Amino acid sequence: MRRADIISGMVLIVFGLVMLFIVIPTQIDTAPDGFVSPSLVPNMMMILITFLAGLLIITTIRNKAKETQEDAAPPISKAELVAFLKLGSVFAIALMLYLWVAPLAAGIAIIVGSLVALGERRPFIIIVMPTLILFGIWLLFYKLLGTAIV
Amino acid sequence: MSLSMKRSLMGTMVALAVGWTGLMPAMAADYPTKPITMLIGYKAGGQTDLVGRATARVMSEQLGVPINVVNKPGAGGAVAAAGLQREDADGYTIMFHANSVINTAPFLMKRVTFKPEDFEYAGMITAYQAGLVTQKDAPFDNLEEFVTWAKANPGFSYGSLSPASRMTMDQISQKEGLDVNIVPLKGGGDMINAILGKQVVLALSGGIHNNYPDEMKMISALTTFRHPSAPDVNTIGENGYPIGMDTRTVLILPKGAPRDILDTLANALKAAETDEGFKKIVATANVPIMYFDVDASYKEMQDSYTSNGAIMKNAGIEPK
Amino acid sequence: MDYLITGFYHVLTPSTLLWVTVGVTLGYVLGALPGLGKATGVAVAIPMTFYLEPVTAIAMLIGIAKGSGAGSAVSAILLNTPGEPSSAPTALDGYPLARQGKAQKALKMGLFASVIGDFISTLVLIVLAAPLARYALLIGPIELCAILLFSLTFIGGLAGKSLIKGLIAAAFGVFFATVGLETETFIPRLTFDILELDSGISLVPMAIGMLAIAEMIVQAGNMKKLDAETANMYSKGRKKEDNIVTASDWRRSLPAIFRGTLIGSIVGILPGLGASVGSFLSYGATKKASKTPEKFGTGMIEGIAAAESADNAVVPSSFIPLFALGIPGSVIAAILIAAFVLHGLTPGPQMFQKQPQMVADIYAAMLCASVILLAVGYAGQRLFSQIIRVPIRLIIPGVMFLCCIGAYMDSSSVFSIYVMLFFTVIGFIARKLDFSFVTFLIGFVIGPNLELTFRQAIQILDQQAINLIYHPIAIIFIILTMVTVVWIARGSGSSKRAAKAAEVDK
Repeated sequence: MRRADIISGMVLIVFGLVMLFIVIPTQIDTAPDGFVSPSLVPNMMMILITFLAGLLIITTIRNKAKETQEDAAPPISKAELVAFLKLGSVFAIALMLYLWVAPLAAGIAIIVGSLVALGERRPFIIIVMPTLILFGIWLLFYKLLGTAIV
Repeated sequence: MSLSMKRSLMGTMVALAVGWTGLMPAMAADYPTKPITMLIGYKAGGQTDLVGRATARVMSEQLGVPINVVNKPGAGGAVAAAGLQREDADGYTIMFHANSVINTAPFLMKRVTFKPEDFEYAGMITAYQAGLVTQKDAPFDNLEEFVTWAKANPGFSYGSLSPASRMTMDQISQKEGLDVNIVPLKGGGDMINAILGKQVVLALSGGIHNNYPDEMKMISALTTFRHPSAPDVNTIGENGYPIGMDTRTVLILPKGAPRDILDTLANALKAAETDEGFKKIVATANVPIMYFDVDASYKEMQDSYTSNGAIMKNAGIEPK
Repeated sequence: MDYLITGFYHVLTPSTLLWVTVGVTLGYVLGALPGLGKATGVAVAIPMTFYLEPVTAIAMLIGIAKGSGAGSAVSAILLNTPGEPSSAPTALDGYPLARQGKAQKALKMGLFASVIGDFISTLVLIVLAAPLARYALLIGPIELCAILLFSLTFIGGLAGKSLIKGLIAAAFGVFFATVGLETETFIPRLTFDILELDSGISLVPMAIGMLAIAEMIVQAGNMKKLDAETANMYSKGRKKEDNIVTASDWRRSLPAIFRGTLIGSIVGILPGLGASVGSFLSYGATKKASKTPEKFGTGMIEGIAAAESADNAVVPSSFIPLFALGIPGSVIAAILIAAFVLHGLTPGPQMFQKQPQMVADIYAAMLCASVILLAVGYAGQRLFSQIIRVPIRLIIPGVMFLCCIGAYMDSSSVFSIYVMLFFTVIGFIARKLDFSFVTFLIGFVIGPNLELTFRQAIQILDQQAINLIYHPIAIIFIILTMVTVVWIARGSGSSKRAAKAAEVDK
């Protein structure tokens, strides 16, 4: 966690400065006289974040506690990163299907895609589970509650 | 419940029947043949949403097809209106909304560039009773008395809900030389809190003050007409400030919707005027019914767009 | 009182009871499904109520609200995917308990705390609605600003191991809340010319992404470990006391429940705070009162009791300003206004004068809903607790799908899905780097109101700080905030020591 803290502190400082000097001035107009500036709070928060990020780096470096085993392991394990990428691509595929094909296809893609991505290989489950969930949702919202979702 | 089920079942069957006759363009003569989607640009539960749902019910009975209400909130309705522009102009996607999204929003928001001629209109049904309101026991009853009081009490607080309501007070205070603290408020509930809790002396109400006849009074109507709920109170125009702006609920369709579809919808809308259930609902919410047919709606949109634009320009309000 | 007795006669008819039960069950199921919740449930049910009698319709809506409040604890405890921010503190101790094989104990405690909090708060509503609402009006922007400041500091001081990181997360929460049109000038802030962002980032898809989907990704990455744990949990053989709330659990939890109910009831009356603030404050107060605060987050039953009782106590008491003044105190109250008007009732002081019987009927229905909630929840938890046996591999797809539906329904547009995914990424990173997403959410929820009330306060005080002396309530909370800051500054040192001690224990 030690290294992660220092790196995230540095990233946050860069982020805060970019926001303060580039993004906020270009994205928030100035108000006419007599108004509180609309960028007051966003600026305050970014100054606070930049300051705290600096503090985080300093306290982490000064706090010379020896590296425990927990600290040595990277905060995001390889398996988690893989899961992140796998499920991320499932969402990407589903979104493309939503935009270019149909919402229903996107719904099926989310369920089937993540089942397959997580290692489910039994055809029975892959067919039955989306059918059951979609039917249940259709029954609940469209029939029982009389509301359309899409 | 069972009624709605029967209806949506019928709708599905009708939709299926239409589906297999092919994808030929919807014939206006037998419009409507399938369920209609009604967009509302506010979250479920607000006053406009409520009137919209009540309208949808009446129109659905008149037209014989279900009308599904879909809430698509964002930017005071501009998100829904922009979405509507991308829909087919076949009369199956309509929007029920305050006409302020077209006749006021473009003057306040730079990215909203709607003009009245970007849409078609199938009638208006209710009006909003905006006005300047204060506590029932306030020591003034009309705008002149208020100005006299305000001169004697500099540093009073005024509750403002938007740049437009701030503009109203700016116009008055500039002319009369008043010293006012403008307190920003967010939404009608916040306004009620501020008035009942005596945090502010005066505030702009979009009409909700009618629910508090024992607690609040209106000293000036901000519309061009006197309010049916308070016919004795002057309009702001009668007070000498030509800044009255009207807001009405209107049925909006995408550009290019055929005239006979608009008329069919407007006729169905007219039924709401006399529908007992609808009248009861709007009476409870204190919303006056003011029906306009297709031609009158177009004229009202054009006129209000022009006059609102002039008022905002005079007041020096720039779209943000 | 006579009205109330007549009210019970009116409500205790098969058809009304049926609809209340339908409402409670629907709410409970929607609440228990990750990604769907309170707001979805009530909004979806409004069209239904067109066809019901006024009292029945309103009772059903209230049933949905109550049911979903209690139901949201289920997904928080079993899957660590709180459907709404207000049940995030429930997950802090509920999920560890569930992983220890004590899912049913946790669920039952959650349910009991919910029902008790809800029932007492309903009684408060009935007895004190009118007079309390008048006092609540004394809480103007100045007082509210001080209270918000206090809540933010108090909650901020609790979360996470590192105070600095907690504060960074809270600052980010406030920052993201500023996106959208600024209230006073309508100047767009950080919207990158996206029209959908004008009304700001919506809480529902954001919370779903941060709380539920990000958690699902982490669980997907640790699937083998979790499944092994589950297998181990059931091979060990089960003790009966893992499934029930024992007498000693009750002893530990009752004070937390009453504290939570009190906090929840007060938070509900005040405008602009909301259920999440209630449950976090209550959780924090219980942690602070405990002799072993460092054990919170590892499966302390009173943590669940504190969070759930406050979460559910907020719902009825948020109706106090609605019934007495017509001011919606919560999302549900706002939606209920529509239901009232639909049936010819104008919420507000006139309701008591014009239709006292109607009000009494609604009160009676609310009390019945509490009792029905107990029955439905008790049956439901037995069923839902089986979920924990299902391998994670099969749970994640279902949860992800439901989350998409819940997010999508917030605005009926795919933009909500983008918001959800954006905050999924942020939530995932925050989780792994130990930035508290809890303080982030609280910052996000409180931020806009803090900014608004601060500006209002400046104007009302006529730009002179000295005018504060006319606002003693505000002064009290400002002092309390300072005390809290000192307490946090000192406490963070001692909790570090405690953490080290705990390390040695291992």
